[in-house]
Amino acid sequence: MVYESTVRTLYKRLIALYPQGFREQLGESMEQTFNDLCNEKQQTKQALLGFVLWTFIETALGIFREHLLLISSGVIMQTILKTLGSPVLVSLLLIFPFMIMEVVNRRNFNEDFPFMLFFVLWLNLFAISLILLPIVRGRWTGNHDMANPVPTQGNTLLTNPRSALMISVVLILSVIILSLLDSLGWEPLERLLNGPNPEQLSVFGVRVASQFIAIVLLSIPVVAGIIAGGPIVSTLRAGGSLFAHPINLIIVVLISFLFAAGVVSLIVDQWPCFVGVPNCD
Amino acid sequence: MRFNLTLDNYIRYGYSVGMTTAPSTPPLTPAVFHILLALSNGERHGYGIMKQVEADSQGKVSMGAGTLYGSLKRMLDAGLVKESDKRVDPEMDDERRIYYQITGVGAKALAAELDRYKRIVSLAQEKKLFPKTYGV
Repeated sequence: MVYESTVRTLYKRLIALYPQGFREQLGESMEQTFNDLCNEKQQTKQALLGFVLWTFIETALGIFREHLLLISSGVIMQTILKTLGSPVLVSLLLIFPFMIMEVVNRRNFNEDFPFMLFFVLWLNLFAISLILLPIVRGRWTGNHDMANPVPTQGNTLLTNPRSALMISVVLILSVIILSLLDSLGWEPLERLLNGPNPEQLSVFGVRVASQFIAIVLLSIPVVAGIIAGGPIVSTLRAGGSLFAHPINLIIVVLISFLFAAGVVSLIVDQWPCFVGVPNCD
Repeated sequence: MRFNLTLDNYIRYGYSVGMTTAPSTPPLTPAVFHILLALSNGERHGYGIMKQVEADSQGKVSMGAGTLYGSLKRMLDAGLVKESDKRVDPEMDDERRIYYQITGVGAKALAAELDRYKRIVSLAQEKKLFPKTYGV
C-alpha cells in the first residue's frame, strides 16, 4: 500500500516535468489514467514493478519529446538564432584592432597571417558575448519596455530557474571531470585528444577531426553559461532584478571570467607580436 | 480547407511522414489512427482509450501514457479530438474523469485513412498478394 502510494506520488512528480502548457492541459488526465492502470494491476494481481518501470521510462521519453518539440517549434530556436548575430559581430569588432596591429606592424616580416590565433581569440570573445549579450539586452528591455512587457515563455526545463541551474551545473561538472581525467592521464581521453593520429580520430566508429572535438568540448561551458543565464534574461525582461537568481548569476560570471582570462592571457602573450617585435612567438 | 490546414499544422508539430502523399489527406501515425478508431464509437477517458486500442488490435498494440497523451496533445491542437465533460465512469470507481471525443475533422481524417487502407487492400488483392492466393 505504501509502495503504491509512493509510486503514484513519484508519477505525479514525473508529470510535473512536462512543459507547462502540456501539464495544464493533460496532466490531471494522465495522473488519473496511471491510477486506473495501477488499480487494474492491483485487482488482477499482476506484478506492479515491471509495469511501473515501463510506464516511467515511456513517460520520461514522452517528456523529453515534448520539450524537444517545444524547442524546435520555434520560440526558443528563433531566439537562439536571433541571438547569434550580435555576438558574432561584437566579437569580430573586438578582435579587429588586433588584426590591424598584426597586419600593420608585421608587414615587413614576411610571415603568414596567424588565422588560428585570431580564430581562438574570436571564439573566446564570441563565447563571452553569447553568454552576456542576452543579459545586457534583457536588462535594456526591462528598463525601456515596461509599458509593453515581453510575454513570458512556457515553463520548460531550460526556462525554469532550478532545472536550468541543474543542467548547467551538470555540464560544468562534466567539463571539470573531463579536465581531471585528462590531468590524471586517463588513456581513452588521452588517445581521443592527443593521438596517436589526432587528425583522424574514431569516435563510435566515425572518423572525427581533433579540432572538432576540441570545439565541442569548448562549447560545453558556453552552453552551460547560456542555460544558466536563461532565467536571468527572462526575469530582466519582465522588469525583475539582475540578482533574482544569484547562483545562476555566479555561474554566468564564473564562465565569462574564465573565457575573459583566456582572451587576456592570449593578448598579453601575443602583445610583442602585435606591436611588431621581431622574432616573437 | 480547415481540415487541410489543421492536418498540415498537426504534421508540422511532430508527425511528419517519410513519404510524399497528396497534401489533402496525409497519412496518420499508427498511434493517432488507433486513438481515432477507439473514439469512433463514443467518448472515452484516457484509460478507456488504452483498453479500447488493446481490444481493437487484439492485444497487439499496447499504448503507454507518454505516447497516448503526446498524441492526444497534437490531436487536440489539430482539432481532431476535443475534451468532453468531466464525469464518473459507471463501470469504474466514483472518481470524475476527463473524457475525449472525436470531432468532425477527426472523423474525416479517420475516414480518409480507412479509405487509404481500403485502396491498399484492393491493390494487394489485385496483385494477389494475400497468403490465400499462395495456397497457405
